Amino acid sequence: MPIQQENLSEDLIWEVVRHRNAYLVKRSQAGGVQFSRDPLNLVNKHSRKHAGFVNAKAIGINADSNTIAMTTKTASNANKPAKSTHSSSFSASTPSRKIYKNVVSSTAKKGYRSDLRAEAVARASAVKQSQRETGKGPQKTRELKLRGAKARKAAEAGDA
Amino acid sequence: MVHTGMAKNKRQPYSVSEKAGHQTSAESWGTGRAVARIPRVSGGGTHRAGQAAFGNMCRSGRMFAPTKIWRKWHQKINLGQKRFATASAIAASSSAALLLARGHHISTVPEVPLVISSTAFEAGALRKTSAAVKILHAVGAGPDVEKVKNSRKLRAGKGKLRGRRHRQRRGPLVVYDPAKDGKEMALAFRNIAGVETCSVYALNLLQLAPGGHLGRFVVWTSSAFAALDDVYGSTTEPSELKRDFLIPSNLVSQPDITKLINSSEVQSVLRPVRGGAITKRGTVQKKNPLRNKQVLLRLNPYAAVYAKEGLGHAKVKGEKPVPLDEVFEAALMEN
Repeated sequence: MPIQQENLSEDLIWEVVRHRNAYLVKRSQAGGVQFSRDPLNLVNKHSRKHAGFVNAKAIGINADSNTIAMTTKTASNANKPAKSTHSSSFSASTPSRKIYKNVVSSTAKKGYRSDLRAEAVARASAVKQSQRETGKGPQKTRELKLRGAKARKAAEAGDA
Repeated sequence: MVHTGMAKNKRQPYSVSEKAGHQTSAESWGTGRAVARIPRVSGGGTHRAGQAAFGNMCRSGRMFAPTKIWRKWHQKINLGQKRFATASAIAASSSAALLLARGHHISTVPEVPLVISSTAFEAGALRKTSAAVKILHAVGAGPDVEKVKNSRKLRAGKGKLRGRRHRQRRGPLVVYDPAKDGKEMALAFRNIAGVETCSVYALNLLQLAPGGHLGRFVVWTSSAFAALDDVYGSTTEPSELKRDFLIPSNLVSQPDITKLINSSEVQSVLRPVRGGAITKRGTVQKKNPLRNKQVLLRLNPYAAVYAKEGLGHAKVKGEKPVPLDEVFEAALMEN
């Protein structure tokens, strides 16, 4: 009998979850687009390459309270969810180019998902862009219609 | 497939009354009365007389194909298939990726499969729900329990009236060994929303893979986890409690295709890559000298000096041109 290997490969997991998973967003518009809500997905597309929860190594770049947080997965801690990600954030004063350089040098340049180099930089740039102040002052927002007593109570508690 | 069948096995028969729509002495009027030949209620004196009856298209008629209690409600599923499915579902519950795909909030969980030492439950130590909540939070299952709490919604439709008032997510499944952990803990856990308990000797596919989706978040007690060996045996040792059962063995011992391709066994028998690491381009690619510095220098060696001395943005030397005086303009116009 051959030696028993780790029998849950990424490929197998992907085949199990590709048709439905908690992150998948399916819409019938635009020829049935499939997006992903996975925080470790750099392009928000539902695909094998970008599925962060399936791949042992993945990069996530998201907005946080500071400016941008970069999360990477530690492959050796795959079954330890509390330790399986490593996160670092950049302060608001870090110039964009320095952020891109850091993102690349801490991932692609170390041989960590070098296939995601461009996507990582593009996402960092997009997040940074979204945080840029327009100088037009606060935008007019439509007043939200609160649904349900709970929501109204929560809003009142927030105001007070 | 096994799940679809098993989910049907808790159904209770229902049907409409056998008599519904047939409690009238209607007879067809036959042809020649310029009305349809459908049976019509006999007699007179009420509006009901002369109205059509029985047919599924009639008001207060019988429904089409009335439901019967002898419908095939339950499915027989082969024991081997059920065991295979349960074993697979248990295996899937140890993969963090599959748990995430099911939507469990496990970012604070120290390890999957999550095993709690049975000393926490010894001799009925855990009797109170508050203590059970505390223990779930302590082992990092708190976010998943909170998720369930916030997910409770009123069900749409008639189900509300039929004992299925709310919908909510499923939280962790606590698996214990009743012989060693006692049964009090099941009472402690039962009022926490979304949390279910199950004996390791009676694991249920409907709980391990709700909705047919693999990867339920399972919290094991250490004695339950140890009991798994007895309950399921191994790929070579038959189970003690399930007759003639061996854990399904792998069809392939290495399912990781990338690893297979990169293994030394495969790589050593492949022919070497044709050409070297650097292959010559078939057609020469045209490069834009305005973007590519090396190509620019090949065409214009002076560009290096030009850029180094910053001639591109040097100020024009000398004084500003002096505006012409009025006398000059007047003299110009005179001629």
